[in-house]
Order: sequence, then structure tokens, then C-alpha cells
Amino acid sequence: MEFSFSSSASKIAHSTAFTSLESGDVLMIGVACLLVYLAIWKKFEPLLLLPMGFGCLLANVPMSMMASTDSGGLLNFFYQGIKHEVLPPIIFMGVGALTDFGPLLANPTTLLLGAAAQIGVYMTLIGAVFLGFNMQEASAIGIIGGADGPTSIFLASKLAPHLLAPIAVAAYSYMSLVPLIQPPIMRLLTTEKERKIKMEQLKPISQTVKIIFPVAVTIVCCLMLPGVTPLLGMFMLGNMFRESGVTARLHETAETHLINIVTIFLALAVGSSMTADSFLRLETLKIIVLGLLAFSFATAGGVIFGRIMCKVSGGKVNPLIGSAGVSAVPMAARVSQKVGSEEDSSNFLLMHAMGPNVAGVIGSAVAAGVFLSLFGDAGSSIDTHAALAPVIGNPEPGMQAIATVVEAIKQ
Amino acid sequence: MEASVSAAVSVSLLAMSVIFTVLTILIFTIKVLVKLTPYEAPPAPPARKASASNPSGQDDQVAAITASLAGHMGKRPDEFRIVNIQSR
Repeated sequence: MEFSFSSSASKIAHSTAFTSLESGDVLMIGVACLLVYLAIWKKFEPLLLLPMGFGCLLANVPMSMMASTDSGGLLNFFYQGIKHEVLPPIIFMGVGALTDFGPLLANPTTLLLGAAAQIGVYMTLIGAVFLGFNMQEASAIGIIGGADGPTSIFLASKLAPHLLAPIAVAAYSYMSLVPLIQPPIMRLLTTEKERKIKMEQLKPISQTVKIIFPVAVTIVCCLMLPGVTPLLGMFMLGNMFRESGVTARLHETAETHLINIVTIFLALAVGSSMTADSFLRLETLKIIVLGLLAFSFATAGGVIFGRIMCKVSGGKVNPLIGSAGVSAVPMAARVSQKVGSEEDSSNFLLMHAMGPNVAGVIGSAVAAGVFLSLFGDAGSSIDTHAALAPVIGNPEPGMQAIATVVEAIKQ
Repeated sequence: MEASVSAAVSVSLLAMSVIFTVLTILIFTIKVLVKLTPYEAPPAPPARKASASNPSGQDDQVAAITASLAGHMGKRPDEFRIVNIQSR
């Protein structure tokens, strides 16, 4: 091969990504840098937004083969974990291992606050339909109001995969803004007297109840809404690791290393789906606005139902704990504590708010299950071989592979 | 799938009803569970005998206060000795 300095230099110059760089890529690199900035300097959900932003950066470097749609690329491989519902349920297992259901079991009526806060999901659904989205897209957008990242990603990947990136970004961005979004709504909807209500100390719960509860939830919810079994089942499995007392190593792994590793894969995969084609659209702006509405309505729904419970219980329930029904564990519970202690510094609402907070996780998973039952493709069973084909090549190895080996030995 | 606002409202009402139903079933399940297996406080640990070096059983308090004071004064814990703790 003849070497010519000028032709080689020209070849290198033409092989750089600069030649393929388009305005959309530049804009998305700017968006990626913004996410990284928000994560590092503004501390907005840094564990998610940092790898997500960096995944976005990698995906928008032309010719890098790092976008989720680049078959054979590294992040395309990670993206299969979202596409085939692997990563969000594993995250949920870690969340389950981190969750103490004690406050919820001690005051089970707070489950209703977790249900009431789902009103945000449905107000957003109506808003999304009004703005022109179809019912499946509107459902995926509405679940942002559940304030639960893995659930949003899980549902979006099933009902509206083309909207996955903006939905994930909106969900995690607004979750980090819960301390700013919730307090004004909480103050607006409650009186000073209500905010000062001190709640009775929670009763202790036997370990047996804590062990049976995950099994009971799995049976009740998964039988009623089978579509949500991957999420809720893994959530409860993680909690069983915690409460059983005989799987300390599994519990430790699920709540630390496993959830951290899967978070990296999940966030990078979501980031890799943020290409100019999928993100720089009018729909993204609509989703960002709808996401804010979702969080606001969810907070309002929880607080208003908290007021109803306050009246019914004769003033024993502080309505501020209702806002914690939006999931976003444990940040929403901390906001209830903060707003309550601003009125009376001797009022400790944190443990009381943890009840609706974990109820919100169950509530948003149930809401996702309802959407899957209504709009999911439950009728058609997934062809496992076809689904795995892009990941591991021909997954029909069985007899065919054995026959090949036997043939080779004969020869 | 074409969607109308009225269909979205119907879906919302139906879905909220399902959520409240499922979570109400869970509330009753929890109440039954709590009733069937009430909490029993763990047995109290056996009372510790007072050590020979400190008849009043204040060894832990002395160790904690010594460590804190040593840190505060920048001295080693063996450079001074607490001989008595009096409660007001």
C-alpha cells in the first residue's frame, strides 16, 4: 500500500465526526451538557441525571454508534434491558430492599393517600389527550405524576417507546424539584391549624406481619393486574430479602451494588435514546409542561384527601402527609416534615409521611398496571426467541446447534 | 388509537376506582394480619452486674466522656482520669 502524507491526512480529516455533525447534534450536545451541569452543580438527582446526560452526549456524537438505535453499539446493548423490561424491575427490587413498610403497616389507612395522589396521573392523562396525544402516549405521559422513575420508564417502554427519553427526563427532573414544587401547594391547600396537628406515635409491628405483607401484596395486586407483576413482584421480592432475616447477603447486594450497577445501565440507556430525532420535537415541550402539571395535581390530590381524612378522623391526621403520596421516596416525606416543622418545630411528621410515601410507590405501580390492562398488548404473548434475537443472535440453538456439532464430529 | 377527552375522563374514573379498590383490599389485609399476629416486645436483656472497678456501673459513661474530653482537649485518654460522675 502506497503511503502519501497528504492523502492520509485528508482521509483522517474526512473520517472525523465533524464532517457529519449537524445542528440537531450540536443542540443535543448542549442538552447533554445542561443535564450534566444540573446533576453536578445543582444536585438534581445526580445519580440518574449524570449518567443520563453523559449517555446523551455519547449518543449525539456522529458515527460513534452509541445511540440506542445503533444496532450492535454498546448502548444499544444496554437499551435492550429497557426494551425487554429487565432494568426497571431490577431497580424496583433494590428499592424494595431499601423500603421499610413499618410506618405503612402501623397506619394502613395511609394507603388511601397513596391512591389519592394518583389523581395527578389521570389529570395529566386528560391534559395529554387534550393536547393531541393518543391514549397510549397519554398514559405513558400521565404516569410521570406517579413520581416514580422506573415505573415511568417501564410504562413508556411498553406503551410509547418513541417518547421514552422526554418522559424519563421529565420524571427525574421534576422528582428532584419536589422540594420546590410541593411546599407552595401544601400551604395553599391547608390552614395553619391543620399544619400544626401532631399525630399519635405509630404502633410497633410484628416481624411476622412484615414478612407476610410482601407476599399478600404480590398475590392481591398481581392477580388483579398481572401486567404490573415484573415491577411489583420484584419490589416485594427485594422487601422480602430485607424482612426475612435469612438473606442478609442478598439484601445487602440488592440495596447497594446491584441497584447502583443497574442504575448506571438504565440511565445510560435512557440517555442513549435522547437523539435529535427523538428529542427535538414539539412533543418534548408538551411533555415537560404536562410533567409539571402531573406533579402539582398529584400533590394537590394527596393534600386534599389528607384534609378529608383529617375531618373524618376528628383532627388526628395532619393533611401535610398527603403530599407524600406522590412516591418520590423519601424526598416527598422529608418535604412533609419540613413544612410541618416550619409551623411547629416540635412536630415530627417524617415517620407518619413515610406511610403514604411507600403507599405512593404501590399506588403508582397499580396505576401502571391499570394502564397496561387497558392499553397494553396483553393479548399477544411475546415471542421470546424473536425478542432475544437482536441481543444474542439466533436464539434457536437447541437441536440445531447439537446437530451442527454432531455433523462436525462425524466429519 | 384515536382518543377523546371524554374517553380519557372515563378511563380516569375507572382507573381511580380500581386503584382505590385494590388499595382498600390491602388495607383490610393488613388489618387482619396485624390482628392475627400482634406485636410482642422482645424480652428485656438481663441486667448487667456492676463491675468491680466501678460499683455504680458507669463504665460505659466514663469511657464515652473520657473519649469526648480527650478529643476536645487534644490529649490522650490515658493522660487524665474521671473519678466521679454526679447527676444534678
